[in-house]
Amino acid sequence: MTRIDDPAGAYLAAVGTALPGEPVDNATLGRLLGVSEEWIDIFVGTRARYFAWDLETGEVRRTLVDLCAEAGARALESAGLEAADIEFVVLSTATPDTLLPTTATQVADRLGLDHLPVYQLQAGCSGAVQALDLGRSLLAGGAGAGLVLGGDVTARHLDVRRDPARMPTEELVNYVLFGDGAGAAVLTAEPLGERVAVRGVLNSFAGLGRPAGQTVDWYGVSDRHSERPMLAEDYKAIEESVPAMAVEIFWELLDRVGWSTADVDHLLPPQLSERMTARIVEHMAIPSVHEVSCVSDTGNTGNALPFLQLERLLPQLADGQRAIGVTVESSKWIKTGFALEKV
Amino acid sequence: MAQHNQVAQENQVAQPSQLPQPSQLPQPSQLPEHDRDIAVVGLDCAFPSAVGPEAYWELLMRGGEAVGEVPQARWTADDLPGAVRDAHRTALMRGGFLADVDCFDNDFFALAPREAAAMDPQQRLLLQCAWRALEDSGRSPVDLAGTDTGVFVGVMGGEWGRLRMADPEQVSPQLGAGSSAGMAANRISYHLNLTGPSMAVDTACSSSLVAVHLAGNALLSGECDTALAGGVNLLLSPALGLVYSQLGLVSPDGRCKPFSADADGIGRSDGVGLVVLRRLADAVADGQRIYAVIKGTAVNQDGRSNGVTAPSRWSQQKVLQAAYRRSGVTPEQISFVEAHGTGTALGDAIECAALGAVHGVERERPCAIGSVKGNLGHTEGAAGIAGLIKTVLALHHRIVPASRFADRENPQLRLSERGLRLLKSPLRLPPGPVLAGVSSFGMGGTNAHVVLAGAPRAAGRAAPRQSGAVGVFTVTADSPEALGRNLAAQAEAIARRPRGSVAALCRSSNRVKTGLPYRYAVTARDTEELADRLRRAADDSADGAGGYAQRPWTKPVVAFLFTGQGSQFPAMTAGLHRESAVYRRHLAEVDAALAPHVGGSILDLVLRGDEAVRETGPAQPALFAVGYALAATLGELGVQPAAVIGHSVGEFAAAVVAGVLDLGPAAELVATRASLMQQLPAGGGMLTVHVAPADLAELLAAQPELTVAAVNGPADVVLSGPIAELDRAERVLAGRGGRTARMKVSHAFHSPLMAPAVEAFRAAAATVRPGVPRLPIASTRYGAMLGDRPMDADYWARQLAEPVLFADALDALLDEVAPTHLVEIGPRPQLLPLAGRSGRSAGVEFLHPSPGPEATGRDLAEVVAALYRAGLDPEWGALYPSDLRASERLRPYVFATGNRYWGCAPAPRPAPVRTVPEPARAARTAPAPAPRTADPALAVVIEAVLQVGGHPPELVVPEARFYEDLGFDSVMIMQLKDGVEARLPQAGEVSIHQLLPALRTIGSLAELYGELVTAKAA
Repeated sequence: MTRIDDPAGAYLAAVGTALPGEPVDNATLGRLLGVSEEWIDIFVGTRARYFAWDLETGEVRRTLVDLCAEAGARALESAGLEAADIEFVVLSTATPDTLLPTTATQVADRLGLDHLPVYQLQAGCSGAVQALDLGRSLLAGGAGAGLVLGGDVTARHLDVRRDPARMPTEELVNYVLFGDGAGAAVLTAEPLGERVAVRGVLNSFAGLGRPAGQTVDWYGVSDRHSERPMLAEDYKAIEESVPAMAVEIFWELLDRVGWSTADVDHLLPPQLSERMTARIVEHMAIPSVHEVSCVSDTGNTGNALPFLQLERLLPQLADGQRAIGVTVESSKWIKTGFALEKV
Repeated sequence: MAQHNQVAQENQVAQPSQLPQPSQLPQPSQLPEHDRDIAVVGLDCAFPSAVGPEAYWELLMRGGEAVGEVPQARWTADDLPGAVRDAHRTALMRGGFLADVDCFDNDFFALAPREAAAMDPQQRLLLQCAWRALEDSGRSPVDLAGTDTGVFVGVMGGEWGRLRMADPEQVSPQLGAGSSAGMAANRISYHLNLTGPSMAVDTACSSSLVAVHLAGNALLSGECDTALAGGVNLLLSPALGLVYSQLGLVSPDGRCKPFSADADGIGRSDGVGLVVLRRLADAVADGQRIYAVIKGTAVNQDGRSNGVTAPSRWSQQKVLQAAYRRSGVTPEQISFVEAHGTGTALGDAIECAALGAVHGVERERPCAIGSVKGNLGHTEGAAGIAGLIKTVLALHHRIVPASRFADRENPQLRLSERGLRLLKSPLRLPPGPVLAGVSSFGMGGTNAHVVLAGAPRAAGRAAPRQSGAVGVFTVTADSPEALGRNLAAQAEAIARRPRGSVAALCRSSNRVKTGLPYRYAVTARDTEELADRLRRAADDSADGAGGYAQRPWTKPVVAFLFTGQGSQFPAMTAGLHRESAVYRRHLAEVDAALAPHVGGSILDLVLRGDEAVRETGPAQPALFAVGYALAATLGELGVQPAAVIGHSVGEFAAAVVAGVLDLGPAAELVATRASLMQQLPAGGGMLTVHVAPADLAELLAAQPELTVAAVNGPADVVLSGPIAELDRAERVLAGRGGRTARMKVSHAFHSPLMAPAVEAFRAAAATVRPGVPRLPIASTRYGAMLGDRPMDADYWARQLAEPVLFADALDALLDEVAPTHLVEIGPRPQLLPLAGRSGRSAGVEFLHPSPGPEATGRDLAEVVAALYRAGLDPEWGALYPSDLRASERLRPYVFATGNRYWGCAPAPRPAPVRTVPEPARAARTAPAPAPRTADPALAVVIEAVLQVGGHPPELVVPEARFYEDLGFDSVMIMQLKDGVEARLPQAGEVSIHQLLPALRTIGSLAELYGELVTAKAA
């Protein structure tokens, strides 16, 4: 369902993020995967990413709950709020630690939150915006402050111990594309902390009749020996559709909040990969706008991406400045975006 | 209000203006009305099945209960008189009982076992509770020693005294003090050295809330700046239960069921709880975390009601109204009342009638009510504080727990008609200001009510990101074992937090977790690392590896070693500059002092990584800047050198630190010196040779153009001279197997080749008048302590050309000052390795605040941590960003549980008297063997000490000190004197004056008696 700008206030008070361990550069990754650094650079362009699991042994060092709790605690601390001030939690992920209990409830527990609504959304690149959208509704329903989070971990979907030589290229790409991370934002009904007003949110499923552009699969006890790929992308469809959809989202948002391109100071474009993002920005062709991207330093962290971009945006966002965020989820094609203004 | 003003005036009159420390006594009349808010800044409690505030909150939120069978050690069914009705017999054998109330860490409080054993366990519980509550308030209890902090303790049980003092045979001074209810508060004041008002309060079941009322008034009238308030209750006998039984007030299942249709009487319970109170403005000013705010309190009396023990609806109504009036609030603003709620049919009815009469006004939603007695039972002397802490925590967590047994609400109470609502499920409190009340009523008709509000919130400004900022986490304890135990507790608590920054946690630990003899300190950058390092330290202690715990007896003696030329490199100390605001400030200060003389910012040149810093011209001012700023930074952290030494150009910064030169003139001198030396014709060089100076005689005779430029150690010599001569010397020495290394310098420093610069520098230095050193200086020009020789123009001129006698100067410093720590002041270790190779510094610890290109703020923090462990009390604030958020709550001290004192074993009936307990620890060991010593006086003293103190024999050794180690006080000393003299009649009677000087250790006392016996025999 689409939501447009409404008069009830929603503000970003603070953002917190968590990236596990040390960055893994292309040389390290190339060595493990048996591919050249240049190959990664040319096809993906991402320079570094973080993994919450040990690249050598596959041992999981930090869970999604760990990362989300760290990001959430940082956001709370930055906002100057305490657990008791938070009235709802919305967490979005495609890769929960367990199906039940939800990662969202586990994170609430770690943050000392109790007796409040805790939602978990299942989504990919659009998840953070979906969480923002739901958070905005909850504020409109009377809540004073809430925490929205997004994050993903790749431990179940990547395995460097497999023989990379036997991997088809389209599968190998996943290893250089994705990374682990989490982000969080404190939403408030009144301007607080960073005082960034959420002027509009777009959240629209647009995949009727279209084949999935990305599939993230999972196995259970009955099909654990399946040969189905855990991750699959239709790169042709993504390369074709995402830039066009990004442009649509941008204009749709402007239309709804009544801004012109000249009103936009910062653009947070989709973060599929360094190469794709560059292509999208080029395609959008918005003059004199400052781009805020993170993917080349963090990899594609799925549900965490918009939070990582926001964290980079906030120190640069001057009073009265405006920003537009655009994300496209290519799984079953979801258009999402948001319009922000520092007050 | 009128009443308050009167009190205020009386107080003013009563305070002569010449009273000392007027700043600590704010005049009450200066407190405007809105400043009557009292902040609850710390708390601690223990209730049955809920030891500690966290466990208490967990019990309340899950609607748990704490009622069980009476432990054997308290009483047995045989203790009940035959006349008790069968229906009540079971009830009197149930209640809420704290486990392990016999455990007491008497060693922590320096209390002798026998004294500990004689103390009412209520006093023991209070002592530990007070320590933990004060820590929870964000301050070390040690820091409060000597302050006017007040102590107000509700206590209604004198059962310990009744049981113990009944047998006149067993009476002792320890038992006397230990059995007095009045001592409950005084003990805390004594052991923590708190000098404000200190009183036990007994108004029966309202005692502890009345104590809170009195504490608040004492704060508002300026009698004290901090107050501990609360209460304690331990069921030691069924006596009061029997009273309830005869009054028809006892609950057959031992449970209070407040406001329930099933309410059928009282069940009794143990409990202890204390809150730390401050005037709100003080708490805010001191950056203390605030749980909730007391807006106002009221206490009244039933007067002549329907009987001395009957509750009065009218008086309850009035006390509520008075409290609201004083708080400046109206009943419809109250969201929640923690009721007295004993769960007796009559008591519930009267309380609800009173609550309804006040709260049944036009209001948006009914006033929620509940009572913790449904969970705990009636904790009597601690009942009010149990309700207060529950309400404080509810405001803190912004959720009010459900009231147990509310699901079967008593319809006869007509709560909804009265604007009341019994909490059947937890009540989430809305954002914004919330008000709550707490009631507590005493059997004799003294009623108390407290009005509370949520803590004020700082205006929502984004907190600065402290991500990755380094901190030093400190933990202290009274013994190595206790340190290990508390390290483990901190590790566990910190590991439970989401990963995040540690600076605020560390800063809080510096405020709270310091002050005890055994010290631990560690640096960390995030909670994960901190938890890990604390865990490892705790594990080390469990393995008995030790070494991590230090008990410093003295302060460290620190010498600063200022490095000379050669240690500089591009971007030196950049890591520290990035992280330490204090270092940045001092570096900017010295940069400004140098700028006019070097034609720009030397700081910019250094930080941008310019290779030019390797040249003499910029190198010397840059090193001076680094040396000055490092020393000033350490100084601001509380690290003051006991002596300084500077290698060559390092002597200038050393001279500034020692007060010989001011910063400005020193900066100018260094700039001039550097420029003069830079201008000398190139061609000379320097060679490090690892040969003893004496073995160089032949070489120097053969090559007269070579000179010794520095003697840095027994086999660390630097030669200076023309390049060709150095080449030759290198070949000669290599032929003899001597190790050499060419130094990367442009000139032959400290050689006659410097002569052209000497006179010019003498002239420049002549304008500077040296001051008298504030500190001992070891002069590397003289190779000795400077003494009263001036550091004048001649000194500085010759210093430039003459050899650097570092080895001799360091020897002199080590001999003269005997430092415990050598701290090198420079951008990388250069002098410390020399000191290490000198073989003279055994047992001296080496520290470096910026040891090389990889150094960061962490290295500076490591220096502070090491010196703290060694006994320094640093100025911790300088280690952290100045905008650091106030404080974090830390897990309070974990006391030892190994010592148990009870002795409540039932005496055989019908004997009415119980035996005075032996200390359990003494009882565990075999009867103390006669001390094996050849000295009869010593044997007698040891025997008498064992009798008086009841210590474990292994502690009673000649070295043991009476006050510090054995916890003796004047009463015990008199008992000891009597004990010794009874055993040693031949010594005669000793006067106190004779005794006093010998009362240091067991050994010193034995010596005195030994001498007296010998003298008498002669």
